[in-house]
Amino acid sequence: MRLSTKISMNKNLFISALVASQLAGLSLQSAAFDIKGALKDAVKEQMDQKKDPKTDTPPVTAPENKTPSTTPTTSTATAPVAEEAKPAFNWKNPSQEEEISLGREIAGNLLGAAPLVKDEALQKYVNSVGRWIASQSDRPDLPWRFGVIDSEDFNAFAAPGGYIVLTKGLYRKLNNEAQLAGVLGHEIGHVVKKHQLKLLQKQQLLNLGAGFLSDRFAKDNKLVSKAIGSGAEISARSLDKSAEYEADRLGVSYATRAGYETFGLADVLQTLGQVSKNDGTVALLFKTHPHPDERLAALGDAVGGKLDNIKNGKTLEKRFYLLKN
Amino acid sequence: MKKLKYILIAASFLPMLYAGLSIAAETGSALKKDSIRAEPFADARVTGNFNRGDKVEILKKQGAWLQVKTKKNTGWVRLLSIKRGSSSAANQTAGILAAASGRAGTGQVVSTTGIRGLGEEELKAAKFNETEIKTLEGYTLSAEQGRQFAAAGNLKTIAFSNLKAPKGGSK
Repeated sequence: MRLSTKISMNKNLFISALVASQLAGLSLQSAAFDIKGALKDAVKEQMDQKKDPKTDTPPVTAPENKTPSTTPTTSTATAPVAEEAKPAFNWKNPSQEEEISLGREIAGNLLGAAPLVKDEALQKYVNSVGRWIASQSDRPDLPWRFGVIDSEDFNAFAAPGGYIVLTKGLYRKLNNEAQLAGVLGHEIGHVVKKHQLKLLQKQQLLNLGAGFLSDRFAKDNKLVSKAIGSGAEISARSLDKSAEYEADRLGVSYATRAGYETFGLADVLQTLGQVSKNDGTVALLFKTHPHPDERLAALGDAVGGKLDNIKNGKTLEKRFYLLKN
Repeated sequence: MKKLKYILIAASFLPMLYAGLSIAAETGSALKKDSIRAEPFADARVTGNFNRGDKVEILKKQGAWLQVKTKKNTGWVRLLSIKRGSSSAANQTAGILAAASGRAGTGQVVSTTGIRGLGEEELKAAKFNETEIKTLEGYTLSAEQGRQFAAAGNLKTIAFSNLKAPKGGSK
C-alpha cells in the first residue's frame, strides 16, 4: 500500500515536471489544448490504479465529500474521477469569496516583491479615486482596494476580487486625477471582466490534469499557491491583447461616467509611448502589454466619434496628490 | 555601485525631461490613416488626409480634436489618431514591430532594470507579505466614502455606455 502511494507520487512529480517544461516552452493557450487530453488519460490511469485493490464500487452511491459541494452534481457517471480530483476550491465556478481569497494571495505576493509606499495620505487618496471609479463599473460591490507600491518601474497590476496596485514610478508620470482615474479604470476593467481569474482557471485545468490537486493538497492555501505558481509570477504573465484593449475601453468608459476628463488614460498612454523600449523601467509593461501606440490606435478605432460630445470632464490637477519624493 | 548611482540620478531627471518636451513646439505622427477636417466636428468638410507614420505639427487641442499642420494643409483630426512627441521614425517603427511580435522588452532588457526592479525574476521570487496585505486592506473605502470624495471635487456622473470593440476587431 505504502509502496504504491510512493509510486503514484513519483508519477505525479514526473507529470508535473513534464507540464512545467511544456509550459515553459509553449504559450499557455496552445499548450492547454495540446496536452490536455494526454494528461486526462494519465490521471484516469492513475485513478484506476489507485482503485484497483479496493472493490470497484459503482458510482451510483452518493459521493461522500468532506466539503459540501455547492453545485449539484449533474452527472454521476464520471463521479469517481471528478470527485477524486475535485479540490475544495471551486475552480469551475469560483464564488466571489473564493475569487477574493485568490486575489489576496496574489496581491500579498506582489507586495512581497515591492511593499506599499509609506505615505498614508497617498494611499488614501488613491483609494478614494479608485473607489469612485469602481462604483461606475459593473461590479461596484466588491471590496475594492488600491495601493501604490515602492518601485520605480512603470506598471500597474490587478488581482482577482478587487486588489489593484500601481507603481510609484507610474504614479510619478501622472499629472492629474483624470489620468489616475484612467489607469485605475483600466485595472478595474481587468477585475470586472475576470481576465486574470480566467487565465488562472485555464492554468488550473492543466494542474488538475497533472494530478497536482489530489486530496493531499486540499488545504486551501496550499491549493491556491499551487494554482498561482511561485511568488507573484502570475502578475508577470501576459493576457491576450484583446483583454488589454478591452480594459482600455472600460477604463475610459468608467472614468468618463465618473465625470473625469475622458482622455486621461490616453494621456498616460501617450506618455508611456515616449519611453524608449530599452528603458528597463518599462521592460515588463511592454512585454506584457501591446505597445502604447497600438493601444492608442485600438482605442481610437473603438471610440470613433463617441467622445465628441463629452464635455466638462474634470482633471482636478489641483487636488492631485504629489509624491513626497 | 557607481552605476546604480548614475541610474538613480538619470531616473530622477526623467520627469524634468518630459516636462521640457511638452513645452517645446509639439510634433506628432499619425497612428493611422485619417481625414483632416476644416473644423473640429465629425460632419465638417474634409480638407485632406494623412497616412500612418506621417509627421504633423500639433497646434491646438480642443475637446476630442487636435488642430494639426501637415506638409500640405492645416486642419482638425481626432486626437486618438495622433501619437504625440517627436520620436524618430526608426525608433517608432522598432517599437511597433516589437509590439507586433510580442517581444518588446524581452532579452537583455529585463536584466538592465534599474533599482527596485519589478521584473519577472523579482515577482517569481516574491514571498507573501501578510503585514503589507493587511495594511492595503485597511485602506478599503465604502462606496459612500467614494461618493463623498467625488462630491468634494464636484465630480458629476454622466450617462455613457461602455465602449465596445470596433466591428471586425482592432486592426
